[in-house]
Amino acid sequence: MKYNKLRTVLIAVLSVAILNTGGIQAARAAIVDTGAMMQTGRDADLAIIHAQLARDDVRAQLGQFGVASEAIDTRLDALSDSELAKLAKRMKDAPAGKGGVIVLAGAVFIVLLILELVGVIDIFKHA
Amino acid sequence: MTVAVCGLLAGCVTHGPLIESGKAAVELVDTPFYPQSTYQCGPAALAIALEASGVAATPDALVPQVYLPGRRGSLQIEMQAAPRRYDRVSYELDPNLASITAELDAGRPVLVLHNYGLPVWPRWHYAVVIGYDPARQQVILRSGTTRREVQSAAHFMRAWDNAGRWAIVLLHPGELPMVADRARYLESTTGFERVATPASARQAFSAAIQAWPEDPIGWIGRGTANYRDHALSAAAADYQQAIKIDPNLPGARNNLAQTWLDLHCVSAARAELARIDESSLSAALRTAVADTRAQLAALPVRADAPQCAAL
Repeated sequence: MKYNKLRTVLIAVLSVAILNTGGIQAARAAIVDTGAMMQTGRDADLAIIHAQLARDDVRAQLGQFGVASEAIDTRLDALSDSELAKLAKRMKDAPAGKGGVIVLAGAVFIVLLILELVGVIDIFKHA
Repeated sequence: MTVAVCGLLAGCVTHGPLIESGKAAVELVDTPFYPQSTYQCGPAALAIALEASGVAATPDALVPQVYLPGRRGSLQIEMQAAPRRYDRVSYELDPNLASITAELDAGRPVLVLHNYGLPVWPRWHYAVVIGYDPARQQVILRSGTTRREVQSAAHFMRAWDNAGRWAIVLLHPGELPMVADRARYLESTTGFERVATPASARQAFSAAIQAWPEDPIGWIGRGTANYRDHALSAAAADYQQAIKIDPNLPGARNNLAQTWLDLHCVSAARAELARIDESSLSAALRTAVADTRAQLAALPVRADAPQCAAL
């Protein structure tokens, strides 16, 4: 089932957490974080490889989309492996909330105005 | 994240009141307001939600964290990840209006994504829901450059439907949402663990343990938080509980063995390592287990510390 799969992923991540961030005796502790703990065998190996690829991919895309290089690592740090994977796939077309004002002219404007008046859309009221 | 085309049709059909009638109106009037600058409703909405949750954060400080200049907007995943750096667990709500009103009842404003365009021609916008009025069937928001925007529930739902009904709340570590989905809460908490202090991670996982004591994830997460916080005996107890629930958790066994080693409980560490089935390990786990074994082999003193008998 869906939850079992998620559970596997979460255990894998959490199991390796101590490895990644360093525990008490960072030099020697071999603790695994909760997420990495939930995966076993080949699935976990693939997940780690995918996460690394996704991380590199997202890093490159954040740069391309104009994020300052000094901010990129901070942004990457807060993302989980599954979030990185989603972002890597969808950064170009995922919804990007903005709320800017749209300037339009001619036929397009009239079509939108009609849709607005009919109540299908609500473009003009909000800044 | 898929855009619901049905939203357009749903707007024309009514099935009774959208907001459950009979409830009292709620408006979180103390919620602060930051008007957005061009394209930057993401940082503004996030600053409002963070400040309402007791975190001092300005839109300017959030721009480098969630604004994507090339897309002239902010992505949901980053909006959800950023609060972790401010010691808040962000949780995605069930996609219905009742889950939003329940959070407002609990005093938490709700950050939503709206689409004021068409599914094929979207116009995405983040706003913060701060209240609702069942008698008037209205929703109240901090939105864009409007401090107090009142929308009809139908209007709100149409824009929310067209944006896939995405809504998040910011929780203090240890708080659960009013309607808590186990998978989503644990996923949020695991993301939070990446950047959280051990104390905050412990609180977040403790809440999971309280709600779902039968799930090993909460115990493993709290065990690791305790380990990081030098609370070794507590860490050992948590890992043991996880293993008791599910004996087939080599990662938890490895972490328990590591914790025993740190406690100088050599026999317990050796016994725990012996229970790990090497054949099923991932590469990361195999490295960790090999490391733990090497530490055991390199110990100068093999005797158990006196306190081990009591653990």
